Amino acid sequence: MSEAIVRLTDVTTTYEGAAHPVIHGINLAVNPGEFVIVGGPNGAGKTTLLETIAGLLPVVNGSVEICGEDILKKKNQLRKKLGYVIQNFDFDAYTPFTVEEVLIMARFGLLGLFKRPGEEDYAAVDTALSTLGIADLRKSHIGKLSGGQQQKVLIAHNLAKKPEILLLDEPFSNLDLATREHVCDVLCRIADLGVTIIIVSHAFDALPKRDVRVVVMKSGEIVLNKITPPECVQQTVRLTSES
Amino acid sequence: MLEFLIPNNMVCHATEAMLFASIGCGILAVLITQMKISSIGFTMAHGAFAGAAVGMFFGLNITLAAVVGSILIAFLLGPLSDKARMPVDTILGVLFGAMMAVAIFFYAWMVQLGMGYDASALMFGSVLSLYREEIYGLAFIMLLVIVFVIVFYKEISSMIFHMKIAEISGIKTRPMMYILLFMIALMVALTMPIVGGLLLYVWLVTPAAIAYQFCGTLKRMMIASPVIAGSISLIGTWVAFTFNLPIAPLSAVLFALVFLVAVIISPKRRIAREKYGAVKKE
Repeated sequence: MSEAIVRLTDVTTTYEGAAHPVIHGINLAVNPGEFVIVGGPNGAGKTTLLETIAGLLPVVNGSVEICGEDILKKKNQLRKKLGYVIQNFDFDAYTPFTVEEVLIMARFGLLGLFKRPGEEDYAAVDTALSTLGIADLRKSHIGKLSGGQQQKVLIAHNLAKKPEILLLDEPFSNLDLATREHVCDVLCRIADLGVTIIIVSHAFDALPKRDVRVVVMKSGEIVLNKITPPECVQQTVRLTSES
Repeated sequence: MLEFLIPNNMVCHATEAMLFASIGCGILAVLITQMKISSIGFTMAHGAFAGAAVGMFFGLNITLAAVVGSILIAFLLGPLSDKARMPVDTILGVLFGAMMAVAIFFYAWMVQLGMGYDASALMFGSVLSLYREEIYGLAFIMLLVIVFVIVFYKEISSMIFHMKIAEISGIKTRPMMYILLFMIALMVALTMPIVGGLLLYVWLVTPAAIAYQFCGTLKRMMIASPVIAGSISLIGTWVAFTFNLPIAPLSAVLFALVFLVAVIISPKRRIAREKYGAVKKE
């Protein structure tokens, strides 16, 4: 068995106060540098899977290991290795932060208490801004940007953290096709550097030009988990979801 | 503390109390409004009001009773919301009503028993009846709030931006939230005897709302809000002493007037108007 960077063993997760578990009996092992696409119908438990990996939800049964350690036991330590682009965000015009301030926040967890960001942190912010091609938005207020630009800022925020594992929940939902392809290229380059990418997505018009692991979920369970060439991803997800 | 500036002891005490309470509340107001926990602040303020009313009725230390009432709300909120399986906002509405009912019940009872004069101070505040120790307490809490915001600025700003993103970034959001609620509870409990349970909320929201009209970043709001709150309260105190008017209600009215003027002259509105005008011309 290879050294999986993310390993879920017989995991059952529920939201606080919910009567039934949202995902159950999940077994999944993801190797370092793998590109994983999680698909499936609405309500299949895809976002819950990402939140479980990030240690945001209580695990009723089983274990979630990041780099061989239990996420719920070493939450704060392991989260430094994780990036998570959330699905639902709505930064209105009242949000009092510039793009640069948002990106530097990604470094705060790495710094710990009482320490201020230094040159290295601002250099990581610069790199993330240029990677996403949004360096010109540095001083703009995030609330005054379009949905697509905000999405790019959130992806850049996570890149500034230099994570080992990047979780993305519907990262293409607010982006036009050209931007989707650009973001997908960026994610591929990051994966080539050894960062593990796990994406929940419904959009298959921008896919990496490399084999990906396709995970299809249905009613809180994984019904398919296999390495697939990019041209077969859409069909594989559709057929498995419909079967 | 400010005797070297204001020789009259009574005026000096009132000025100090209003200044310290306003600066502390002005800073917390930014956190309360930006974290969108206004209803928590509102309910905690009424928890303090109820606690103080119960404390006064039973002859206990009023400030301590107000702190207990306020903290009780903060710690009841989570478990109650889980058990009742209802949105936090609904639970806050219920708790607010319950706290108000408790406060009014004991107030009315004290009025019946001939303790009406003392009890009215709970509702409308009485800055002139403060002890020196209470003013020192206020100064201490104000300093504590300032130190808290400076030391934990990066954690606070992350939480204001997005709670879930902050948590994933590795910020310990839960303990930070508890510390913040504790700070609000202390500030609320010590400010209540000055401005009263009914007006307290003005100090916990309005300064930040005024500051927001002129500031685009959190740092600027953090500085502007306490400066605005302190200035309005000082002017209110001075006018009230000059014309023999009630200090806290007058200051609260001034807050509302300044907010109104701020909204009218806000550069944010001007920019929006100019943009709209430009579109119309096209």
